[in-house]
Amino acid sequence: MSEQAPPPDVAVAAPPGHLYGVLAEFDDTPALLRAAAKVRDAGYRQWDTFTPIPIHGLDGAMGIRRTLLPWVVFGAGIAGGLGGLAMQWWMNVFDYPYVVSGKPLLSIPAFVPIIFEVVILLAAITAFVGMLMFNKLPQLYHTWFASRAFASRVTSDRFFIGIEARDPQFDLDRAKQLLADAGSTNVEVIAEPDPPQLPAWVRKYAAPVAAVLLVAALVPPLLVAKARVTPNQNTRVQLIPDMDRQPRFLPQSANSLFLDNRSMRPLVPGTVAAGWAELDPVFYRGIADGEWTDALPVEVDRALLVRGQQRYDIFCMPCHGWDGEGRGPAAVTGQEKSPATWVMPTSLTGPVVRERPDGHIFNTITNGIRTMAPYGDQIRPADRWAIVAYMRALQLSQAVPLDLLPPGQREQMRR
Amino acid sequence: MAQATAQLTRDNLRLGGLGNTLILVSGILGVIGLAAALVMGGGGPAQRDHFFASYLMNYCYVLSLALGGLFLVLLEHLARAGWSVVVRRLAEGIAAMLPWLGLLFLPILWGLDSLYLWVDPPATMDEHLLGLLEWKRPYLNVPFFLVRVAVYMVAWLSISWFYLKLSSRQDATRDPALTMSMEKLAPVAIILFALTVTFASFDWMMSRDPFWYSTIFGVYYFSGCIVGAISLLTLAATLLQASGRMARAVTSEHYQDLGKYTFGFTVFWAYIAFSQYMLIWYGNIPEETEWYLRRQEGGWGTISVLLLVGHFFLPFFALISRWPKRRKNLLAVVCVWILVMHWFDVYWLIMPEYAPGRVPLSWMDLATLAGIGGISLAGALLWLRSRPLVAIGDPRLGESLAFENA
Repeated sequence: MSEQAPPPDVAVAAPPGHLYGVLAEFDDTPALLRAAAKVRDAGYRQWDTFTPIPIHGLDGAMGIRRTLLPWVVFGAGIAGGLGGLAMQWWMNVFDYPYVVSGKPLLSIPAFVPIIFEVVILLAAITAFVGMLMFNKLPQLYHTWFASRAFASRVTSDRFFIGIEARDPQFDLDRAKQLLADAGSTNVEVIAEPDPPQLPAWVRKYAAPVAAVLLVAALVPPLLVAKARVTPNQNTRVQLIPDMDRQPRFLPQSANSLFLDNRSMRPLVPGTVAAGWAELDPVFYRGIADGEWTDALPVEVDRALLVRGQQRYDIFCMPCHGWDGEGRGPAAVTGQEKSPATWVMPTSLTGPVVRERPDGHIFNTITNGIRTMAPYGDQIRPADRWAIVAYMRALQLSQAVPLDLLPPGQREQMRR
Repeated sequence: MAQATAQLTRDNLRLGGLGNTLILVSGILGVIGLAAALVMGGGGPAQRDHFFASYLMNYCYVLSLALGGLFLVLLEHLARAGWSVVVRRLAEGIAAMLPWLGLLFLPILWGLDSLYLWVDPPATMDEHLLGLLEWKRPYLNVPFFLVRVAVYMVAWLSISWFYLKLSSRQDATRDPALTMSMEKLAPVAIILFALTVTFASFDWMMSRDPFWYSTIFGVYYFSGCIVGAISLLTLAATLLQASGRMARAVTSEHYQDLGKYTFGFTVFWAYIAFSQYMLIWYGNIPEETEWYLRRQEGGWGTISVLLLVGHFFLPFFALISRWPKRRKNLLAVVCVWILVMHWFDVYWLIMPEYAPGRVPLSWMDLATLAGIGGISLAGALLWLRSRPLVAIGDPRLGESLAFENA
C-alpha cells in the first residue's frame, strides 16, 4: 500500500462542497400553497415544503399521493391476528398442553383476547414506526439547516420550499427563477459541505480491527452456549449468597455439642403439646375399660349423621363406595389396572364389619388396617365418630327390620 | 360563516311535499301493520303470546334507533363536536320518534303476563326456581316495573324535548347561548341516558328470562342502538340528497366520518358481545350458559352465526378502508345491511324465550315492525317537516360545512 499522505487539513476545512439545492422563503400559507402548486406543475420530484403548522390542502397542492401506510398497517393487523392464533395454538396444543377449566386444548374463544391484543399491538407499532419511516424520521440534521433563515424560523413563523439538486430536471437558474416568480421573499442557494475525510491510518486499519473485534464478540456467547450443555459438579458461583449459608444445626443430624450427639433436643418426659392431651380414652381411642367400646361417645342426631355422610363421601367413598359395599371408583379402577395384586376393600355393610364394636371401627379409621391407610391425621375425632354413626346407618339400610319400614313399603316387601 | 351559510342558501333544506307524502305513506303503513298484527294476534292464547313477543321485539328495535339518535345529539354537545352539525338535525329527527314510542309502549302493559315469567310464575315450576323468583320479587314486581317504565319515559322524553326545542329555537334566533345551555346539560343527560337505557334493557329484555343475568347486557343493547342509529342517519342523509335536498351541506368528508362511526361502533358491538359471551363460556355455570344454549339450539344457532358474520365481519371488512366510506351510495348499502343485522340482533335477544328450539319468523314480525316503525317514522317526519333539515342557527355550522378529514 504505497499511498500518498493525506492532503493537508486546509483543503477539507474550506469546503467548496457541492450544490445541494435552492431554498425559498414565504411569508404566509396562501403564498406557500400557490408556490407549491407551481413547483408541482413544473414537474419537480425531489422537493419538499417546510411549515411550522400543519396546513390543510398542502398535500394536494404538492401533488402527494395518498400514503400506503394504511395497507401496511392492515397487513400488520392480519399478520398479528394469524400470528397470535398460531402462537397460542402451538403453545397450548404442542409445546405445553395444559387443560384449563376442562376446555379443549384448542379453544378459540379463549384465544380471542390474546389475538385481539396482538392485532392491536402489531398494527399500532407498525403505524407508528411506519409513519416515521415513510417520513424518513427521525432526522437529527438536514442540509437545509445550513440556511440561517431556515434554521431560525421554520418552526416559528416562516414557510419554505426546497428543491434539491438531485432532481433529474434541476437547473439552478430555472429553479431560482421559478421560486422567485412564485412569490418567495428570499431565495437561497444551499451548498452541502463534503463529508470530512478520516485520517489514513484509521481508514487503513478500521476494517481489520472491526473484523477481529467482531470475531472476539462471538466468544462470550459461545462460552455461554457451551456451559449450557456441559454437566458440571462444582458448586455454583454465588455472587449474592443471601441466606443460603447459615450457622445452624440441621434436624436429625449428628452434633458433638450435646452429650447424646444429636442436634435435636428430646422432649421433657411427660410433656404434651397444647390441645393434644386426649385424656378421654373412649372419645380419642375408642377404648372403654380396656375393651373396644360399643357405644358412640357422642350424641347421635340428624346433624351428626349428615356430617358423617358428608365426611364419608369425601374420605371413604372413593374406595368403599357410596353404599359401603366396597365398589368405590378408586377401588374399581385399581382392580381394572392391576387385577393380580389389587385387594378390594372390605364391605362395610357385610357381617364382618357389622359385628365389630364401634371403638374398633373408630380405631381402624384412625390408624388404618391391612392395606387401608390411617386417616387420623386428616379426620378429626368428632368427625370419625360421625362416620362410624353413618356407617351404622348404611348397614341398617342394607338389612332393615320389617317393622321399621313405612307401612306402604312394608306391604310392598311382604309381596 | 357568512360565506359558508351562503353555500347553504342555495340548498333545498325543506322536506316540503315529499314530507307530506312520506308521512301519509308511513302513517298508513303503520296503522295497517298494527291492525294486521292485532288480527293475527287475536286468534287465541298462542297467537296472543306470539303477538306480544313480536311487538316487544320490534318495539325494542325501533326504540334502539330513537335512543341512538338521542345519544348522537347528546354526544355532539358533550364533545362540542363541530363536524357533525350538518347532520345533527337528522339525528334530532330520529330522536323525535321518542314521544310516539312512549305511546306505543302502552300495548305492552296488557301483555306483561305473557311476556314476563316473573309476573305470574306457574305453581308447577321447580321449587328452586320459584325461590329464586321470590328472592327477586322486590325488584321484579309489576308495580315497581311500572314505576320504572314511567321513570325511563320521563327521562327520555324530557331530555329529547329539551334538546329538540332549543335546537329548533336556535334556527330562528341563532343565539349561541342556546348551544351553551345544551352543552352544559349534556353530561348530566348522558349519565341519565346511560342509567335508564341500561335498566330499561334489563327490565324489558333481560328479564324475559328472569333467572339469567348479565351485567354487561345494557351496554350490549346500547352498542346496537348506536350502530343502528348511525346507519339510519347515514341512510337518511343519502336518501335526502338523492331527492335533491341538502345537496351541498353534507359532503363526502361527513360521510367518511359517519362511516368511521359505523365502523367503530361495529367493532364496539362485537367487543361487548364477545366480552359477554366469553365470561359465560369460560365460567361454564349452567344458570348462565342456559341463555346461550337456548340461542344455539334449533335454528337459533344459524342466527348466532349470522350475527357473528353479518353483524361484525362483513361490515368490518366492508368499512375498514377509506374508499367505501367516502362513497355515499356504497356506504348506504352497508348501512341497510347493518340495519337488517341489527334487527336480527334484537330478534335474537328477545325471541328465543318465546320459541326455544325454533326461529318463529313470520308475517307477524313484519306487521309489528311496519306498525311501530311506520307510526314512529311518521312522527319523526312530522317533526322534521316544519323545520330546516340542517341546524342553520348553530354557531359551529361554518366549521361543519368546511370540515375536511386531514
